[in-house]
Amino acid sequence: MAGRRALKAVLIDLSGTLHVEETAVPGAQDALNRLREASVAVKFVTNTTKESKKHLLERLHRLNFDLQVMQEIFTSLSAARTLLEQKRHRPLLLVEDSALQDFTGIETSEPNAVVIGLAPEQFNYQTLNKAFRLVLDGAPLIAIHKARYYKRRDGLALGPGPFVAALEYATDRNAIVVGKPEKSFFAEALSNLGCNPNEAVMIGDDARDDVGGAQNAGMLGILVRTGKYREGDERKIHPSPHLTCESFPEAVEHILKNML
Amino acid sequence: MADTDWPGCARSLKGVILDMCGVLYDSGEGDGVAIPGSIEAVKRLKASDLQLRFCTNETQAARETFVAKLQRLGFDILVSEVFSPAPAAAAVLKERGLRPHLLVYDGLLPEFDSVDQSNPNCVVIGDAAEKFTYQNLNEAFRVLTDLEKPLLFSLGQGRYYKETDGLKLDVGAYMKALEYACDLKAEVVGKPSPTFFQSVLNDMGLQPHEALMIGDDLVNDVGGAQRCGMRGVQVRTGKYRSVGSFNLPKINMSPYWPPLGHGCSYWLVKPSMSVCEQPKFPLLRCHLVLWLNLCFYNR
Repeated sequence: MAGRRALKAVLIDLSGTLHVEETAVPGAQDALNRLREASVAVKFVTNTTKESKKHLLERLHRLNFDLQVMQEIFTSLSAARTLLEQKRHRPLLLVEDSALQDFTGIETSEPNAVVIGLAPEQFNYQTLNKAFRLVLDGAPLIAIHKARYYKRRDGLALGPGPFVAALEYATDRNAIVVGKPEKSFFAEALSNLGCNPNEAVMIGDDARDDVGGAQNAGMLGILVRTGKYREGDERKIHPSPHLTCESFPEAVEHILKNML
Repeated sequence: MADTDWPGCARSLKGVILDMCGVLYDSGEGDGVAIPGSIEAVKRLKASDLQLRFCTNETQAARETFVAKLQRLGFDILVSEVFSPAPAAAAVLKERGLRPHLLVYDGLLPEFDSVDQSNPNCVVIGDAAEKFTYQNLNEAFRVLTDLEKPLLFSLGQGRYYKETDGLKLDVGAYMKALEYACDLKAEVVGKPSPTFFQSVLNDMGLQPHEALMIGDDLVNDVGGAQRCGMRGVQVRTGKYRSVGSFNLPKINMSPYWPPLGHGCSYWLVKPSMSVCEQPKFPLLRCHLVLWLNLCFYNR
């Protein structure tokens, strides 16, 4: 740990790390409170594309997590919106209805860009063909993230990544990815916390997207064995996670004991 | 070794393999639409001394069905002359004792009637069109992730094809989706797999250099055939797009060549092009009918 400064910020994944759908990870609420008592900034970062920030905040409150303001949440939807505004694109939005809230005010008629998130209802043949033709004709393909799959109550389910890969292959173009594990996502998440990546740690259940992405951006990563974690995931990234532990409460214990 | 320039090629040619969708017809409403001149072209080929076979990655319908459709459009074509991925896949599955979970168009299911589909230990995807729903893809994904040795067969790997109402995603896009989701590589049955082309050549009893493949798909038809040692012709119908295609340098017409009609020219594919590795023969682009004129002029 030579050369690494004291910890100033902790980024925390939501789905799979603090909760799985409508069930909190046992002990997570208390662990979060203990973390808040230490002198570190906390931010919740998520690739969840189905839900607006308001939705996310409401769910966390229902599960008794202590979050006061929406500014503590940074999502890949926010990152996508920023990009659309910067480039003044008019997007075909392949996102769930519940996520459309985060795009109010953005013009969507006569689309000249495609934004693709996790939207099972929209991943039918007709709609994907519509997106395909736009991109083939030159529209940029913006992927909110490229997660391969996520955990639902009834098992694993395809994320948006496979559908982005399908469109990339069919059009021979590369998508612009705005969510984890892109460096730009982590940089933007830390930007208003006043710290450098090497003063921050990320806790998540996705080896590649949470831990791999964070470490690639200069942070340390802690992999938790909840949510979509599968045996052996820690061996799939290089360098391997700074720490792999059972769940969020253990991760917080480690931070409080060893990293402050 | 065989002649490598076109007058010579045409003389030593003994067989022709025709792609179907995009060369003979465009699919769409009902039976689709025959491409002008193609019915005639097939008649002329059959009347000649060249052997003729049809090679398709069509996987929405069983062979009997789409051959009947082409016959209704006026084409002189028999089931025994047609090579498609589903029968080839069924044979591979039986050979290797594999039991498939099928994600294919309903019309293709009969091709797998003789294959045991209980307790699947692999997944087979074809051009399932509207059946490529999130739920169906998710089901296929779950079958794969539950297997100790996940195995995915893709009937072709095309990126897209042309129907009368526009371009549509082909099986290759969905193959890539599952490859990405499961972190595996699919086995492709059908064009451009060399095994597939070889099975057609075996049926004709020809060496690769004695045969020519004509198709609208540069990578899967022409590229695949060329990699087997066959020659390739790309037609400017079907999914052919003049923009977004590979930038191929044109070559000067040799004095031996007759003038081509409007819209035709020759391209030489250099070895450095990624699409066709080590091409041995020049790639010719034109309409099927015009190519035939060219071919018969030189024989």
